[in-house]
Amino acid sequence: MNEQPERVEQFQAEINSMKVKASGAENESRLLILGIVLAVAGLALAIVGGVQVGGAADALDQQSFLATGSFLGIALIIAGAALFVRYSLARYLRFWLVRLVYESRANTDRIVEAIDRAAHGPE
Amino acid sequence: MTPIDTSAAPPLLELSGVRAGYGSIEVLHGVNLAVPAGSVVALLGPNGAGKTTTLGVACGLIEPTAGKVLMAGRDVTGVAPEELVRRGVVTIPEGRGIFPNLTVRENLQMVTYGGARLADVEATAYERFPRLGERRKQLAGTMSGGEQQMLAMARGLASNPALLFLDELSMGLAPLVVEELYGIVAQIARSGVSILVIEQFARTVLGVADYAAIMLNGLVRSVGRPADIEDELSAAYLGGQKP
Ligand SMILES: Nc1ncnc2c1ncn2[C@@H]1O[C@H](COP(=O)(O)OP(=O)(O)OP(=O)(O)O)[C@@H](O)[C@H]1O
Ligand SMILES: [Mg+2]
Repeated sequence: MNEQPERVEQFQAEINSMKVKASGAENESRLLILGIVLAVAGLALAIVGGVQVGGAADALDQQSFLATGSFLGIALIIAGAALFVRYSLARYLRFWLVRLVYESRANTDRIVEAIDRAAHGPE
Repeated sequence: MTPIDTSAAPPLLELSGVRAGYGSIEVLHGVNLAVPAGSVVALLGPNGAGKTTTLGVACGLIEPTAGKVLMAGRDVTGVAPEELVRRGVVTIPEGRGIFPNLTVRENLQMVTYGGARLADVEATAYERFPRLGERRKQLAGTMSGGEQQMLAMARGLASNPALLFLDELSMGLAPLVVEELYGIVAQIARSGVSILVIEQFARTVLGVADYAAIMLNGLVRSVGRPADIEDELSAAYLGGQKP
């Protein structure tokens, strides 16, 4: 049934030689999850750091626990939260935009209807 | 029911668990569909089932929110439509997409911006569709619906497709014309192009297709040989049970 199988082969070769990037939608949810993971890891680190600082009698030990535990932990929390906010906000705004479009369309319909009614008299 | 046989080689097109929609409204809820190399697959379903949306995902115009688009076994999800066109994925959209205020010849000239030579494009177009040859100076918008559809097909074929998508070829055309067009689709298929055709009303396309799939409410409900599908089809449209 197939008179030119070489077209199929050519197509396969061309598709295979193509550069493909990861899809945007998948990336987005991956980054969202990364944000949550980072924030949780940071929180854990900060708590561990805090406990260690409390347990350490020596001021020098306390400082090093502060540096590795608390500060790094806080930095991770901030970075993770920023990622999370960025991508959940994107989702929310997309939804909101659709909602706005929908409302404005409904509004236009109402106005057109009202004008129609006014033009054709109240009866 | 015979499932689509994809054991021999990876199909030219495969949609796997595709979810997609417009804004926050999901239209496709996990579509699975395959077009094996060298075959004609018909995707059938009533208005609003999501057939055109499926095509949009397949040709790269709509990015799925989940699932994968594979071509020749390769994941091409998220690849730009023009990249796919350049490699031989051609779509003839619903409503044909020709320029009504240009002549037949000027419409064909549009393909040459992709790199083909006008003389070659015209020669192959008029060979396959002699009626276009007779009307090369006529404005495309003044031709009959069937002739316009032929022009759309000629333009699509000029870029030497490996994978051809046809959306509602029969829209607004008389049954006899539809039959003629599907005769041409069968010829195209024989020349080695793999084809996905979308239709609402199925009788003619089932004579040409190797496989048929029924789509309802954003899901492919059944896939099989046209003969098996035909019985199920009336049930799908009437929304009732199989007799
Ligand atoms: N651009 C768009 N924006 C929002 N919703 C859309 C858009 N295009 C299609 N839809 C919706 O998506 C759903 C599926 O539409 P689609 O065009 O895929 O159906 P179809 O199976 O091709 O129907 P038809 O046989 O009438 O062409 C419909 O409910 C439609 O209202
Ligand atoms: Mg459609």
